[in-house]
Amino acid sequence: MAPSQAAYAPSLEKLLKSLKSKSLEASIEDLIFLLKRRQVSGDECANATAHMLLQVVARSKWHDVDQLLSRIQSTGSRLAQAAPHEPVIGNIVRRVLGLIRDEASEDRNADEFMSESVSDLQSLPPSAPSHTRPTGATPVRPALVPTATSLAVSKSMFNLLSAAETADSPMTGASTPISQAQPTSAHALRSEVIDGIEEIMDEISQADDQIAGFADIQVHPGDFILAMLPSPAVERFLLKAAAKRRFTALLASNGSYISAVGEAPYAALRKKLNAAGVNTVNLASNGLLAYMPRANKVIFGAKAVYQSGGLLVDSACCIAARAAQEYSKPVIVLSGVYKFCPFDPSEEVSKVDLGNPMTYVSYGDGPAVDALEVENAVAEYLPPELVDVYLTNLGPQTRDHLGSIISDHYKPEDMGLSLLINEA
Amino acid sequence: GRRPSVVAATILKETRSSIPECFRHVPMAKRVPTSAAHKDVHPAVLAVGQQMATFAIKDSIARLEATLLAFRRVIESYETPKGNSLSRHFVPHVLNPQIEYLTECRPMCFAMGNAIRLLKTQVNKFDIDTPEDEAKEGLLETIDLFIRERISLAEFVIARNAARLINDGDVVLTYGRHRLVEKTFLRAKENGKTFGVSIIDDPYDNGGQALAKTLHAAGIRVFYSPNLGGLRANVERASNVLLGAEAIFANGSLQAPAGTADVAMVATNVNKKVVALCETINFDRERVAVDSLTYNEIDPGRNTAESFRLMFDNTRDRYISG
Repeated sequence: MAPSQAAYAPSLEKLLKSLKSKSLEASIEDLIFLLKRRQVSGDECANATAHMLLQVVARSKWHDVDQLLSRIQSTGSRLAQAAPHEPVIGNIVRRVLGLIRDEASEDRNADEFMSESVSDLQSLPPSAPSHTRPTGATPVRPALVPTATSLAVSKSMFNLLSAAETADSPMTGASTPISQAQPTSAHALRSEVIDGIEEIMDEISQADDQIAGFADIQVHPGDFILAMLPSPAVERFLLKAAAKRRFTALLASNGSYISAVGEAPYAALRKKLNAAGVNTVNLASNGLLAYMPRANKVIFGAKAVYQSGGLLVDSACCIAARAAQEYSKPVIVLSGVYKFCPFDPSEEVSKVDLGNPMTYVSYGDGPAVDALEVENAVAEYLPPELVDVYLTNLGPQTRDHLGSIISDHYKPEDMGLSLLINEA
Repeated sequence: GRRPSVVAATILKETRSSIPECFRHVPMAKRVPTSAAHKDVHPAVLAVGQQMATFAIKDSIARLEATLLAFRRVIESYETPKGNSLSRHFVPHVLNPQIEYLTECRPMCFAMGNAIRLLKTQVNKFDIDTPEDEAKEGLLETIDLFIRERISLAEFVIARNAARLINDGDVVLTYGRHRLVEKTFLRAKENGKTFGVSIIDDPYDNGGQALAKTLHAAGIRVFYSPNLGGLRANVERASNVLLGAEAIFANGSLQAPAGTADVAMVATNVNKKVVALCETINFDRERVAVDSLTYNEIDPGRNTAESFRLMFDNTRDRYISG
């Protein structure tokens, strides 16, 4: 996109500013447009979704928990459908749904007899309240094992169907006991859910910083760090490491910068790193195997982390990861916990995501336009075998522990949301 | 005439200082002004040197051919000074300055090294009393034969054999643009095969686009990826992989345009046949390389910390099936 257009183009920033002045429906539509046109993408998606759901909670009319849940679900799946290549949106929707369920059950506990509340005090995340839904309908709550999806499906089947058939159906079956909750508590619930969503937003905004906090453990003096397409998280990570360590950063890009405005990519990052005494080299290369003997480790950010440990990443990162594997160099993936998806990609998702080939092939080149069937893959699925460390805001994780993190953050009822998106 | 090469050395120093330290051992092509060249360098060689430094003549065989043709001119215009014999005087006083200059313009490729070695042995074979005309005639003949056998005939045979590997309905994947690969595709088309070609390009080189246009003009269906993105999916769709190599080391590993190794690795991992095409003149029987930093060149257009690129990479033999 030309920079001159950028000033006039709608952006997330403008949308968030205009939230107050527009009707809720109008702002949702606006965001959907932004998502569809990929003017909001990557890490912004999570933030945008949280903002929008906050508006839904705060401004839409709802009288009980079920209404709220179905509203969030319908808005959430609309957003997710607008950008099926951004699984993060679904994650945030699920987090918010889980949050509402938690708050609702807490309310009910206060109203009804306390004896019924079976608090399942598992190692819950700091951001989520430490109460879980009391076991009203089912006598025994299924254990939150990593492969909880199969259990979750049976549990939330009714929920799924009813939500899919119409978004504003008043009754969703999964939380039957809660649906009798008194409308009087709606107000309290509203403010509690809003608080909760704000906490999620904080988590999103702080994730990069928290990840960067682990930088000096991972980066050692004299290292050659190959950073593939440095994302904001990776930049922060490198800068934090640069404060303590002397290393060399090999910044690699995949050629999409060639026809972009200036020649030198990552100029700002390089300036900061150089100022901290860190050598930087911009690798302008397609293949990365040539440089791998020199590099010690490979670092990049993920767009999403799936349950199996597989990743959704920029396609160039796959090349870096494969090259690293060839030379047995560790691959470190930076990802906030909010990017963890409680499901595995379906066949369709695991295919590559195609982008605009304009930067590579000029339309001015007539013969080329004739001759080429161009395919420019931008995002790709990276199998879990190629990743060594998942560095999250909760610390470094291995593949085996991803399941427990996911089950800590999502309710089994909401894991099926992805199905709902695909069906609709 | 030592003075000119001092000038060249300072040019060398200036350009090299911008190369990041960890890659400073890798040689790089550079433009040596014709005025800075040794006084004995033949005009034809001067021209070839400039073309090499600017990458107007790029791949190893084209460089080899240009060098040999230039040397032909050198030999034609050579006259043995009085009291000397061709077999004693020609190599140290005439041929060596040419070679030195060419190496300064761009590091020699293996094919050039092999050819020059052959030429020198040929000169040494002449008896000290061989008449000049006869010796010159012999050398010119050697060069002609060399070009015919090792370049033209090799190209023909390789293309013919490789074209047999392409079957009807195949989608053949290739990386960038290589002369032999292009010849092979056209040959297979002439033989009446119907097949598609999937070209993976290097966005820093864009040779693949030119190849795509040639193939399209010949009526071959072309799929094009501007970079290595989605490589795995592309390779899985293809039936086999045809790569062009710049050189082959004694341990069987390939030197080929950067990115080739990535393609070969992925293709082998998904069990596709990977065939590398290379003339035997590009084989090196002495040097061994297991990684890409042992023998390589830096792209003279991208040689600073701002933007840095190696020309070649190294594909281990285990990733090549034939």
